[in-house]
Amino acid sequence: MPTLLCPDRAFLARLLADGGEDLKRCFQCATCAVTCDLSPTDRPFPRKELLWAQWGLSDRLVSDPDIWLCHQCQDCTARCPRGARPGDVMAALRRESVRFHARPRALARWLERPRSLGILFAAALALPALAALWVAASGVVPARTESFAFATWSWLPRGVLIGLYGALAGWVVVAAGLGVMGLWRGFGVPGPTVKGAAASLAGALRRIVAHQDFSRCEASRSRRIAHQAVLFGAVGLVVVDAWVLLGRFNPVLQALVYPWSFWNPWKIMANVAGLAVLVGCGLMARDRLRCPGDAQPGTRADWIFLGLLAAAVLTGFGIELAHLARFTLKGVVYLAHLGTVAVLLLSLPYSRLAHALYRTTALVWAERYGRLPPEGGRHA
Amino acid sequence: MDKPAVFLCGGCGLGDALDLEALRKRIARDKGAGGCSIVPCLCGELGRAAITAAVAANSRGLVFGACSARELAGAFAVEGCHVERVALRELCAWSQPPRTEDTQLLAEDLLAMGLARAQKATVPVPIAVEVARSVLVVGGGPAGMAAALGAARAGYEVDLVEVRDGLGGYLADFSVLTPQAAPFRDLEPCDLPEWITAVRSEPRIRVHLPARIQRIAGEPGAFEVDLEVAGTPQRLRAGAIVQATGWRPYHSSRLEHLGAGRSPDVLTGLDLERMLGTGPLRRPSDGRFARRVAFVLCAGSRDPAHLPWCSGVCCAASLKQALRIRELDPEASCYVLYRDLRTPGVLEEFYRRAQEDPGLFFARGEVAGVEVAPTGLRLALQASTLGDEVALEADLVVLATGMVPVAADGEAIRRLRDARALIARGEQGPQREAAERTVTDLAGHEGSEILNLAYRQGPDLPVLEHGFPDSHFICFPYETRRTGIYVAGCARSPCGLDEARRDGEGAALKAIQCLELCARGLAVHPRWEDPTVPEFHLPRCTQCKRCTEECPYGALDEDAKGTPQPHPTRCRRCGTCLGACPERIVSFPDHSVTMVSAMIKAVGIPDEFEDKPRILAFLCENDALPALEAAARRRVRWSPYVRIVPVRCLGSVNVVWIADALARGFDGVLLVGCPSGTDTQCHNVRGSELMATRGENVRQKLQQLALEQERVRLAELTIADQERLPALIDAFAAEIQALGPNPFKDA
Repeated sequence: MPTLLCPDRAFLARLLADGGEDLKRCFQCATCAVTCDLSPTDRPFPRKELLWAQWGLSDRLVSDPDIWLCHQCQDCTARCPRGARPGDVMAALRRESVRFHARPRALARWLERPRSLGILFAAALALPALAALWVAASGVVPARTESFAFATWSWLPRGVLIGLYGALAGWVVVAAGLGVMGLWRGFGVPGPTVKGAAASLAGALRRIVAHQDFSRCEASRSRRIAHQAVLFGAVGLVVVDAWVLLGRFNPVLQALVYPWSFWNPWKIMANVAGLAVLVGCGLMARDRLRCPGDAQPGTRADWIFLGLLAAAVLTGFGIELAHLARFTLKGVVYLAHLGTVAVLLLSLPYSRLAHALYRTTALVWAERYGRLPPEGGRHA
Repeated sequence: MDKPAVFLCGGCGLGDALDLEALRKRIARDKGAGGCSIVPCLCGELGRAAITAAVAANSRGLVFGACSARELAGAFAVEGCHVERVALRELCAWSQPPRTEDTQLLAEDLLAMGLARAQKATVPVPIAVEVARSVLVVGGGPAGMAAALGAARAGYEVDLVEVRDGLGGYLADFSVLTPQAAPFRDLEPCDLPEWITAVRSEPRIRVHLPARIQRIAGEPGAFEVDLEVAGTPQRLRAGAIVQATGWRPYHSSRLEHLGAGRSPDVLTGLDLERMLGTGPLRRPSDGRFARRVAFVLCAGSRDPAHLPWCSGVCCAASLKQALRIRELDPEASCYVLYRDLRTPGVLEEFYRRAQEDPGLFFARGEVAGVEVAPTGLRLALQASTLGDEVALEADLVVLATGMVPVAADGEAIRRLRDARALIARGEQGPQREAAERTVTDLAGHEGSEILNLAYRQGPDLPVLEHGFPDSHFICFPYETRRTGIYVAGCARSPCGLDEARRDGEGAALKAIQCLELCARGLAVHPRWEDPTVPEFHLPRCTQCKRCTEECPYGALDEDAKGTPQPHPTRCRRCGTCLGACPERIVSFPDHSVTMVSAMIKAVGIPDEFEDKPRILAFLCENDALPALEAAARRRVRWSPYVRIVPVRCLGSVNVVWIADALARGFDGVLLVGCPSGTDTQCHNVRGSELMATRGENVRQKLQQLALEQERVRLAELTIADQERLPALIDAFAAEIQALGPNPFKDA
């Protein structure tokens, strides 16, 4: 019995509105699929995705691992003879995939509204402030302010802060986990497994860390360095933050760490990592504006995500500078940093940043079931 | 008339390659020549003066030993004289080694052959014809209307005959058109009303409808047309005819596997066109909105089991309909299922436009079947871009069926009538059986007559393989095998609206050319402006009917006894009748059996074979000869033993010449014509084919003479075979040398 196809006009309309407005131009010549260096020889992408997208075949697309195996280099867009911009269509499909798998979906949808980010940011500022007011009103003033970093923040109890952000992080972990599990189920089992779980994960991480996919593309070579800067910078910042948090709860460590001088290795690492993220963001912005061929300079969501990332790092540096300059209102800068980080954290499973989860999942799946790029590249 | 004067040109390397003085002396000794002179450059002023002087001295025949007849035609045309052009430049100077005995002998022979013809040729007097300067246009669709307007605006009277009750053909059912103008993206309102107004308000056009043609007699310049207009007979005269009878959609009854006839919701494109009104489309079955419409392109097209050709317009027409459906109902989705989407030329822009519509869905694949399901029509797709085994559901299925020409097969009808007549005569035996088979096979042609020509070869135009009337679609659009009758629009070849209209105008121009040439007594293509016409010495005719049967243009009718009745303006001067006639009664003023026989006799046959075999080559003047001359321009060499006789068509070669040549001592005869077959290259359709048939006679003759069959060779090639022809000549010469001398040499 042949499969009955039911075109989903609403899904198609969303794709068209979301950066894929030229997808209907595709006339299935397959230039994209042969151009792509990451596309496996068996059922290559992105040609079939474009065709399914034209027909609004949402059920096939939202759980298609191939849309996550593409890493958006835009080689296909640069070569498309019809100006259908396959790369941008794949980006739109990835957003659809996140929309479909994100949990709760309502939150994902709510976060897509630009106003939501403002509300979220306001909440991220208000909650610590309210907590501080409550603390002040209850008269419980912290006994001592022993650390350099928090010396001036005595009005904001550490426990409240850690409690709030801990809850947020916990929520994000649960939401991300649900999304990833749904996605994995959606990918399905295409055949026998090629690798064990650990080996698959290791393979995927190796591929991510080595950035080897990036060097296979022609249209945007500078993306490799940009992505490396942002990824490694962000990892560095997370590591420093983790170290600081650990230090908070461990008096021995705390004695080792605090107070940090400017030349403390951790301090140096944090500064270098922060600078790397900023440089990476700058390169990404430049690449988007100088996009290859007919590719569009990113959607609004792309720019918001990039802006948030840069804002989080910039406000971080702001705190440092405020300290050095003995700025009286450094509390305000600190609050701004807390707010952007909170927004960034909460939007992780729903925004453009979700690719960190979804693409990693797809790469693990690809390792596990052997859906890998041709050895040495298609054009080797 | 005085003897022909011979002029030898010394230019273009002729003087270097040949000993012109020796040649001049040799020609001057010929009793048939009225003097021979050498001019350094015959096309220059001196040459002009010499020619004028010769004409003043009453020479009515001129032989120019210079360049090919295809060169400098104007410079060498002399009013009131027969001009014989001997291509010494191409056939000797440029293709043979200079100053050798063989080259010199070749030049002598070629000149002697030219002289022999010039001695017998007479100056043709163009026939006087009283022409009707009016055009009969058959068919009132877009092509017919454009033809009528084109001819009328050029100053000719037009009779426009339409079988239906109104003008416009299928266009009358169209509400919108595919884009006709830049940027070729948007649907356009149907422009038929303006066209009808234009035709109706043109004083030179008389529209007859609803009308049928009862009979067309006569010939170009003077056709006698009997019409029946709304039941009343009417007679008119026309100088030329444009047939623009259009098309009909391929029978959907043969497309049952695509659901045709199994549900009222399966339509042809033309059915849908009539349903596209002003509101959302509804299903014929239950009147509910048709929100999912599937277009099956190439329905029965490009399929050997149905229509083998692509009609070229169904894709764009389906896109137009789909866009119109979307305009009328934004909630509708249209699925376009195609094998290849063909929107040629600027219509690619329209395809892009259609692709941009979010409600149009395109998939390549084969529609394997359409089934009626409770929820709609279910289309099974195979080998599609959406998967190998997938299905779609639709409320309406539109079959984009291709175009079938509306034309009658004149030759088939004639065969049918002949067979019926034979049966009616009460003949018995195998002939009757064959006739009965013919009647069974061709019964479908009964009643398909359109033009009702009173021609011996059938009442309508002969058609090509797929039923399109045409004579030579490669070189001569609009031409048919009936002089003065031109086809335009979809009856000629499937085409879109714009092309059909241009076609109509083009055919109208051809019709005008034809009647103007008729008025001057000159031929239409391929022997453009040829003033000669064949003369029939009827007292010697044996009524064998070969000429009336073989004439590619149906120029010859028959009287009751079977004697040919020539219609000179139908004739294209190909000479097929001359080649066909066993009694040799057909001749042109400059081309006849006796003339060519004299040319053959004029060739000197050396006694000693070893070094000098002689081969006679009949080359078609349309393809083979120009191909050889083109090779000469590139200085390709070939055997010096070949003596060339240019012929109007291979069909005009009379086998008596072959017998003459062999009896005279030629060692081999080569005949080169154009490729035969459906996609014919032959200007006169069947030249090589006829020659091959007559070859049977030749074989018998060779047997009688106890000669090897290999001594006569028939070859087919095109004008582009410039490299093949010299090689072919050399190979044949080598074979003849291997065969040894013709034993009749000493006779």
